[in-house]
This record gives sequence, structure tokens and C-alpha cells, in this order.
Amino acid sequence: MGRPDNGVRIGGAGGFWGDITLAPLEMLKTTELDYLTMDYLSEVTMSIMHKQLDRNPSAGWATDLEVWLRAGGMELLKEKKVKLVTNAGGANTDACVSRVLKAASAIGWTDCKVATISGDCIGSKLSALAGTGEPFIHMFDHKLGSLLDHEETIVSANAYLGASGIARALEQGADIVITGRVADASLIVGSMAHSCGWAANGSELELNAPLADWAPPNIKNPYDVLAGWTLAGHLIECGAQVSGGNSSDWKEIPQLAELTYPLAIIESDGTCVITRAPGEGGRITRRTVAEQMLYEIGDPTSYHTPDVTLDLSQATLVETKLDHVRVEGARGRSPPASLKVSACHRDGWMSSGSLMVPGPNAQEKAEMLDNTMRGRLNHLSDIQIETEFLGSQALTPPGLRKDISPSEVMVRWTISSPQRAQLTHFARSIAPLVLTGPAGVAGYGARPRPREVLRFFPTSIRRVLVEPQVRIEHHQTWRHDLEERMPWLEDKVLARLEMISKFDNHPYWSKLASRMLDRLDESKVVKP
Amino acid sequence: MKVALGKLAHGRSGDKGDMVNIALIAHRPEWMELLSDAVTPKVLEQWFEGWTEGPFKVFEVPGVGAINCLIHNVLQGGGTVSKRLDSQGKALGQVVLEAEVEIDAKRAAELGFHL
Repeated sequence: MGRPDNGVRIGGAGGFWGDITLAPLEMLKTTELDYLTMDYLSEVTMSIMHKQLDRNPSAGWATDLEVWLRAGGMELLKEKKVKLVTNAGGANTDACVSRVLKAASAIGWTDCKVATISGDCIGSKLSALAGTGEPFIHMFDHKLGSLLDHEETIVSANAYLGASGIARALEQGADIVITGRVADASLIVGSMAHSCGWAANGSELELNAPLADWAPPNIKNPYDVLAGWTLAGHLIECGAQVSGGNSSDWKEIPQLAELTYPLAIIESDGTCVITRAPGEGGRITRRTVAEQMLYEIGDPTSYHTPDVTLDLSQATLVETKLDHVRVEGARGRSPPASLKVSACHRDGWMSSGSLMVPGPNAQEKAEMLDNTMRGRLNHLSDIQIETEFLGSQALTPPGLRKDISPSEVMVRWTISSPQRAQLTHFARSIAPLVLTGPAGVAGYGARPRPREVLRFFPTSIRRVLVEPQVRIEHHQTWRHDLEERMPWLEDKVLARLEMISKFDNHPYWSKLASRMLDRLDESKVVKP
Repeated sequence: MKVALGKLAHGRSGDKGDMVNIALIAHRPEWMELLSDAVTPKVLEQWFEGWTEGPFKVFEVPGVGAINCLIHNVLQGGGTVSKRLDSQGKALGQVVLEAEVEIDAKRAAELGFHL
């Protein structure tokens, strides 16, 4: 699998759950790929998925995956022999895999091997893990204490897994790999580790062993290679953010309406070229790649993933031709001894509502509107109110605001409270302001419904305490199963059944035989 | 001299927990030092006064000629609990390009930067 000599072609056709649903389908149609990776997760997405799973045991995963697989994506993966690697499993890998297997079976791809990478979910085991001495202290601010302080209200806790499970699954022949919380770039690193022989070389090693140990003996600096692959992964895991979307050069990007998604052509040495799917829309330049390279980065010399600590401070970007940027110079060191854990716990309720205020004196009117609202809520205890004046530099931090007078202002309130009922008073106080506030207030809608707040709590866990698991299964027909297990029987039995099913003058037997043949063609799920 | 930051750099911002990073990439890599001088933790502190008390950090990224600014504790606790419309700080990478920053006129000229 893959062609390390000419670079492995890995597509990234999505940046989060909510991105253009059919983008992967378009990419599969137009682009020669070895792997298609789909990153559906973010810190916020995991919280949402856990909330969904709470309400519905078959939810909690990125259902957009099924939409494009059923819209022709599955056929394209099969025809073009492209491996799909995605974290669409989110908070519920089992439900996701079951739907993917059904989608494969629906197009007759009954031997499509679907791998599940799990082991990331540690929420139910927290007390036991705490017993081993793991403190689960807040990752960025020790003053915020331990995750265990919130044990009563924890909704989820997921450790970030690395690339090893993905590499192992691909090595074992998986056509589709579905993961839960795997580090975004590891989707790409795992694919590379398989393509470049690391997975074969490391087939006997534990899944929580550092991936660098899997490197074939001829690799001199495995951490530099992993750093390069991780950087390539980081560059395409947010989809079109590298190919012209969200670019400071938005004026120069052709055809945003038909924006194409990126692929990385990655070498076994860790260097890569970032390019994009063919089409009119989008552009890849040194500038678009630089913006994405530093997206969501902390210290550029120490970007931690479960696979490697990446130093991208010296990485260079060179435009080799139109829409092709060559990336070199990533350096790597060993990853931290602990894995990041993203957890969330319930933390009260929140609600937002807004009204529009016209000029003259829009800002002054907006402030009076806000004061009126606050006056009507001041009998409530236990609420926090945030007011924003949209159109009046609300997105600008206070120290950068200028003295301007906007011609129109949208007043937006967001209220939080530990008690849901408090928010009802707020919801009922918005529309009345149209008749009982300053002049010309417009734009009221339905009363906003309170939403439950999940507070994100990043922490960490020692690597040895997390065991990634790989499971591969596929839908299979009973006939295929029979062929595999008893080839000698299969010929005779099937030939006889087919003969009997054509007995025109024995309707009972012919019906029975054809029913048996039908049953043999039905699918079942095989879990080795 | 005072110059709009957007004349020196282009930018993008993103979130991690309760932190926002604003990457500022110099239009010409050699202007990175002008960025470093103009956008310091002290300057960030002034910009964000009222939203956070920091800490603020600035890292250089010489490979592409950029600086990466980290603003801690700026999202009211993080993207899921922030009450602001821009709960993940997505707009900040653009907003700051309008900031007027102070650069050394002589050094700027030596590096080929002219208004």
C-alpha cells in the first residue's frame, strides 16, 4: 500500500464536524489518493458528542460520515482502493462502525474490513485510575485543581491516542479505520507508518510503545521523520483552511464557492508537498500554508502529540509551482510521558438572545436597552450576564477599540446560571423590549432555549495506563464464509442447490433451494 | 513610527482550552524582528486589558518569519463556556491587524520596509 518512493498521497477533506458534508466525495472523484483522512473532532465537538450520547445510545459520532459514504463515497473508496482513516467515531465508535459496515454491505462490499481503534475513553475508569496515583491535575492551570474534584458531574474523559493503533489496523488489512479521540495529525502519521514499513517492522511491539521504536533500522532519526509526518498532518487536518479558506488573502483566492480541499504528498523521510484537489476554487501559497502551520499552536518548538514533540520553528515553506508548497525542516524529540486527556463536566445552563437597534444614536440606545434588560432581571440571583454590542467592535479586545459611532448595533446577551429556571425569565424578557424599550428596536424571534454547559477540562494521564485497542470486522456473506471454511463442500453444495432451484416441476423444492441460496448471500458481521 | 500591524504581517488565530494563539506572519520573513519588537507581551497586555490578565507570551518562528502570540485565560474558561459570540477567538487574528504598532523607522528602512 502506498508508494513511498513517489510520496504517499493523503487527502484531508474536512476540518470539523459541520464542515462541507460532501467535500470528501468531491475529493475522491477528482483526486488520486492513497488515503483519505477525515478529522471530525475538536475539543468542543467531543463535548457535544458526549451530550448526544447521553440522550441517545446510537448517537455521539460524526453522522456526516454516513451521509457521504451513502451518497457514493463507499463505491469510490472501493473502486479506487483508497483507505479511509477518520476519527468520526467520536464518543461512540461502536455505533459509527456498525453504520459504516451497513453502508459497505449496501453496495455489496461485504468483505470491506473496518477497524475500530478504541481505548481512549477513560471516563468510566477514573476512580480506578486515580487509585494508581494519577492525579488528573488541570493541564494548564494547577489552581483549577483536579478532574476528580468534578467526579459527580463528569460527562466524559478521553485520552488522546497516537498513531500506533491506526498503523497496526492498516497493517492487518483494514480498508476503513474508525477511531475515537486520536490526535488529529496521528490520522496521517498512522497512514504513513503503515506505508513506509514501520507498522510491519513494529508488528510485535505494544501499541502503547513509542512509535519511534517501530522505525525500521535504516531510519537514522525516527523523531525527525515523525515530526515531518505530524507537521504534514497538522497542515491538512483542518481541511480547506490551508487551501484558501480563512485566509488573510481572501480577496485573491479564486472561487471560494467551489473551494477544493488539500492533500499532502508525503515522503518516507518526513518532508512533504502540500497541494490541493483539482478544480477552480482555492489556492495554496507559502502564505496560506504558514497561517495553517501556526494554527492552534503554542510554543512552536514544542508541539506535543502522542507520537512526537514537534519543533516547527525552523520549518521552511517553498512554492515549487502553482498550488504546490514544499515543507521541510521539521525536527522531532520524544513525546511527553503522559497523554493529554480531554474531559468535560456539567456546569450549569446558558442562553443567548439578541435585538437590533437602529440609529440615530445607535450606541446610546443600545446601552439603554441593555440597562433596561438588566433592570428587569435584577431580582434574579445566581445569574451572570454578558452583553455584547455587535457591530460596535464587539470582536475587538478592549485595548484596541477606537472611538467610532456605529449606525446600527445588535445587542446580544448571554446569561448563565446553575439553575435552568432562572434562564426562563431572561427568555421571556427579550421580546417585550420591542414595545417597552428605546425606539425602533427590531429583530426578535422565538424565546431562546437554555442549553446545558459543558466545561472543558484538559488534563493528562501516564501513557502506560492507556491501552489502545484494535478490532477489525467485516460484513460477510454466509456463502463466502462457507467457501473459506469448506472449499470442497462449497462447489458441490452450491451446484446442487442451483440445479434444484431451477426444477420447474418441483415447485416446493425449487423454492426451498432458492431461499437457501438467498440466505447464503445474506450478510453477517464477522468479528475475529 | 506608528504603522498598522497589517502592513507588516498577516495573521490567523485559534484556541486551545482557555488560551488563544495569534500567529502573525511577516509579509517578508526578514521583518520578523520588527514584529518581535512591536508586539511584546507588554503590548498584548494593553490590548487585552479587561478581557484577561494573561499571562502573555510571544515566540519567534524564524523558519517562516513569524511570531506566535499566546494569550492565556482569555476565553472566560474556554470555548464551551465563553459567553462571547467569538467564543473561540477566531476573529482575533484579523482584528489585531488594524492595531497601530510602534516600530523603529531606521531599522525598518534597513530591512526594506517603507510606508
